[in-house]
Amino acid sequence: MSPLLAAQIQQFHAALASVTSEEALYELQVAYLGKKGSVTALKGEMGKLPPAERKDFGAAWNRTRDEIEAALERHRDVLKARARDLDLARVVDLSMPPLRPPVGSLHPLTQTRRRLSETFIRLGFDVAVGPHVEGEQFNFDDLNIGKDHPARDMADTFFVEPAAIRGLAPGDVQELVLRTHTSPVQIRTMRTRKPPIRIIAPGTTFRRDDDATHSPMFHQIEGLYIDEGVSLADLKATLMAFTEDFFGQRLAVRFRPSFFPFVEPGAEFDLGCPFCSGRGCNLCKHTGYIEIGGCGMVHPGVLEHCGIDSERYTGWAFGFGIDRMTMMLHQIPHLRLMFEGDTRFLEQFPC
Amino acid sequence: MLISHQWLCSLLDLDGPAPDADALATILTGLGLEVEAMHRHGAGVEAILVAEIRGKAPHPQAGKLTVVELFDGERTLSVCCGASNLPPVGGKVALAPIGARLPGGLEIAPRELRGVASQGMICSETELEIGVDGDGILILPDEFPAGARLHTLVPGMVDTVLELGVTPNRPDALGHIGVARDVVAYLSSRPGGRAALKLPPAPAVMAPQDPQLVSIAAPDRCGRYLGYAISGVKVGPSPLWLRVRLHRLGLRPISNLVDITNLVLMEFGQPLHAFDRSKLAEGRVVVRRAHHEEGLRTLDGTDRALAQDDLVIADADDAQALAGVMGGAASAVSAGTTELLLEAAWFAPPGIRVSARRHALATDASYRYERGVDHGAGLERAALRALALIAELAHGRCIAQAEALGARPPRPVIDLRPARAEALLGVAVPTLEALAIFRGLEIEVDVDGLSDRGPTERDAAETILLADPETPNRSPRWSPSWRCVAPTHRPDLQREADLIDELMRHHGLDHVPARFCVPREARPAASADAMSVRGDLLSDGLREAGLQEIVSLAFVAEEKLLHFSDSHDGVPEDRFVRVANPMRGAGVMRTKLVPGLLDALVHNTARHGRPVRLFELGRVYAWPRGQVDPVGFPAGFPVGTRAVDVQLPHERTLAGLLLHAGGRAHADPRVLTGAVAHAIGRLGHRLHLSHGTGTHAAPTVSWLHPGAQIRLAVASVSGPVDIGVAGELHPELIAAWGLPDGLRVAYAEIDLAALPTAAVAKAREIPRFPATSRDLSLEIPITLPAAAVLTALRSAAAVLPAPGEDPVRLQAGEDIELLEDYRGAGVPEGHRALLLRLHYAAAGRSVTDAEVSPLHAAIVEQACLALRARAPSVRPR
Repeated sequence: MSPLLAAQIQQFHAALASVTSEEALYELQVAYLGKKGSVTALKGEMGKLPPAERKDFGAAWNRTRDEIEAALERHRDVLKARARDLDLARVVDLSMPPLRPPVGSLHPLTQTRRRLSETFIRLGFDVAVGPHVEGEQFNFDDLNIGKDHPARDMADTFFVEPAAIRGLAPGDVQELVLRTHTSPVQIRTMRTRKPPIRIIAPGTTFRRDDDATHSPMFHQIEGLYIDEGVSLADLKATLMAFTEDFFGQRLAVRFRPSFFPFVEPGAEFDLGCPFCSGRGCNLCKHTGYIEIGGCGMVHPGVLEHCGIDSERYTGWAFGFGIDRMTMMLHQIPHLRLMFEGDTRFLEQFPC
Repeated sequence: MLISHQWLCSLLDLDGPAPDADALATILTGLGLEVEAMHRHGAGVEAILVAEIRGKAPHPQAGKLTVVELFDGERTLSVCCGASNLPPVGGKVALAPIGARLPGGLEIAPRELRGVASQGMICSETELEIGVDGDGILILPDEFPAGARLHTLVPGMVDTVLELGVTPNRPDALGHIGVARDVVAYLSSRPGGRAALKLPPAPAVMAPQDPQLVSIAAPDRCGRYLGYAISGVKVGPSPLWLRVRLHRLGLRPISNLVDITNLVLMEFGQPLHAFDRSKLAEGRVVVRRAHHEEGLRTLDGTDRALAQDDLVIADADDAQALAGVMGGAASAVSAGTTELLLEAAWFAPPGIRVSARRHALATDASYRYERGVDHGAGLERAALRALALIAELAHGRCIAQAEALGARPPRPVIDLRPARAEALLGVAVPTLEALAIFRGLEIEVDVDGLSDRGPTERDAAETILLADPETPNRSPRWSPSWRCVAPTHRPDLQREADLIDELMRHHGLDHVPARFCVPREARPAASADAMSVRGDLLSDGLREAGLQEIVSLAFVAEEKLLHFSDSHDGVPEDRFVRVANPMRGAGVMRTKLVPGLLDALVHNTARHGRPVRLFELGRVYAWPRGQVDPVGFPAGFPVGTRAVDVQLPHERTLAGLLLHAGGRAHADPRVLTGAVAHAIGRLGHRLHLSHGTGTHAAPTVSWLHPGAQIRLAVASVSGPVDIGVAGELHPELIAAWGLPDGLRVAYAEIDLAALPTAAVAKAREIPRFPATSRDLSLEIPITLPAAAVLTALRSAAAVLPAPGEDPVRLQAGEDIELLEDYRGAGVPEGHRALLLRLHYAAAGRSVTDAEVSPLHAAIVEQACLALRARAPSVRPR
């Protein structure tokens, strides 16, 4: 072998030993085998040799190039393996507190209201709405709560100062109230639609109560079903189907007789406790049931007020508080948390 | 209503033992008389004995103590006692022997009081928790035998009191007898059950009728008035059993007469009133409306001006009682009263309710009268019961009686169809059970014409039916309807549904099966109303944009709304919807969502320094401008009747967005408009920001910073539609809410109803070839909106001729980016430099620098030209 080539190889190996990065390796490759590399340059020397030596030199040069290339390749593999090992030696602490993107949230009341609506839509109920400021006729009279009815005591009512409206007959003038329940939506629906009527009416309601467990503004949901042959048994089936969808388990439905002027028979209804499936826990005070709301068969007088034939049609109605349901679901300890808008409270309910 | 378990059971005639308190509570709750609480009384009093005083001697060491020799029925004990009212030798007292434990928890142990052994304790009413008498020890009647257990002689000493939540339809349940009647109906309708009501004795009186005694001058307001003249009354304390009974029900014993009327009130639910007849002019009463400017001093000592539709009980001259509400002071019973006129009456409920409200007097009497007392046999029976007690306990003798009648409500005759009951309840109540329920409730039933054959035969038939176990649930023998007559003590029973309710209560709601009348699968698809859907989509978008939803009260204090009462962009005061009886001083229905959001911001900044990004979706309220338009009013709700709806205020749903950067940092308005853009994108809309141009410049919104606000609009087929406004809240508002001066809070408002129906998003071609970009730094006056610059550049690009088949254009979709809004060194005063990046592309090929550069230059030149018409100092840098 040409001593020149041998020197190149020796030099190359010495340089290679100190190469620790792929970039340096590439530079080394260029320095020896690149267009202007030192080994490449030796190939030009071949022409200066006598023809007899050229063949040998050419073969030797080829071997030299091959050896360098192979060494480079081997070294590249070593470097890659070393880098992989280094990377694998890295430790990342994924137990650190997550960095969350600044996402918003829907109010827990909204979340509950939506879930309730979605559930009842699946059960075939349309969602209906009505005004918050109501006339006494829809909030009281048509619901069998006449001016002299003691049941008006049951709802401590906010009254609204009326506007002067020209051309009203004195007998037509309505006392205006902030609706004390969502039931006027029943009246509006029954007055404008023909049976079969199947609606729910979630919404804001108002009563003059203000303490640790009552807010003067709160939220209710009302259900109404009017058709031929509707019975209390259908209400029970509907509420059971509701629990299956809403709580993900079929819960018992218990009726207890009670009184609401716009239903007869009237009842309060309890659901089997969703937290212990009725076995008894602290949340249901070990009764196995949670009190939910009121219900009953729509009073024939109410149907008649709305122009519905009370002989041909029967129907049921139910209503309950969304606020209480929300507090129960999320185990919210204080009602005031719902209305003061503390972001540290709101962010607990991402959705 | 407080119900004594012991008293109630004494009214039941049963074959077996009476239900214990817990069982009774379960029955009552099941009947709709919800037991809300139970109070057990008399723990430990079983040990208390009647003891006779055999001797008394002063304590040798303590002047205030007496050493009493007591006979407890077996032996004589000595007990030290400090009471001053010790009866003489032979008197009876209540002895708590050694080992007894008093209701208050005190355990009686042998003691030595200054050298004298005391083997028990003589008790007071307070210590036994049967009264509040603080005078001294309880003195027992002489006839109580020494050694007897006291509680066996005084009913109600050991008792459980049930607190019932009585619904307003059940005035009959405001007395023990009414509640007992429900229990009787329940127990007697159980299989094999037998129960009857055991009424207290109320013998008829033999006194002569004296029509002069009472008269009714307002027959529409008083249906029935029974008056009894009583003579020789001796007012004094009530016997122990009566005092204990009233004490258990939370009533304070006063005198035998008052206590008797209170007892009958609690027994029958019937208010009675006793006048001192010697104080009544001519010794008679008339039921009439108050005279013009008539006054009355009521028992509570208040002088009351009467209205002319107040009903009064008057003597020959003056009003002596506010009928059904409260008696008058002038004719009140006092210690020296000997002559009485006892009243038992039925007043029309609405009038009593109005009077009680007008005079702000809610009494036990008015509470019952306004719900409706019994105007039938129960009324008379209650009066006779009181007369018997007055004779027994106060030596009063009835010397004359009278009954006056006005308009009594008719007894409703109701046809009940068992088939209808089954259809409504979804379960059939067996015929015999139904009959037993009705009999227990004293609802008269004419089944299949049985009443035609006379009461005896009917009773016999019913008895046979009830006794026949072979026909438990078969009704073909019966006609399809039963003619029923409601009893006078149940004013709530008016129609068939009410009777069905009675069947349901007693049969038990647990028997109602769960059964769909129309299978779920057979129901048509349902949906939410359009506005709710729109609101939900917008909320979703705002949530995704990082905002948190709040819910705030719909009424606020008036001063908080005056910031938004400017007539051109707010609701002036004369259109405020006012609450007549507000709470927390929040008397106006909100016209803006800003106050609630600012309140929440204040709540948060007072507690932490983190960013506050909130939104609320809620209604605002205002009376319509000028005259109400009766057409198409109100919007968005199913119309009930125009007569009602035309009287209601407008309700609109707004979305309010509030951004605060945390601490004292300034909110970035571009984050605000970005949130709006994202949220309305959820509804398929693209946001247009505009100040308006030329003569169409939008007027300034007074509650936003004058230099930091913009109109929000979306495109529609008929041009841009205004949907709201965005900006920074006015510094005056920040100050009014007590936030730090100079704090910049971004706020936007969207009117949900103004959003047009969204178009379905259409696909746009994605560029297949890379774009080439050119940066542009443009120096413009601060007052020139960026939107104008972008519009000018886009317009220029649109009008400049583009050569070739596939010309270079600004890239569709992502055409111009705003990289920086620079103010500072190198830019003249009053100016800023916008750094913009313009992207150029062709549809089907890559573009070259050679073709982009001249186009870019031409666009910039053209745009600057256009902009200089508005602002001459515009120049590229």
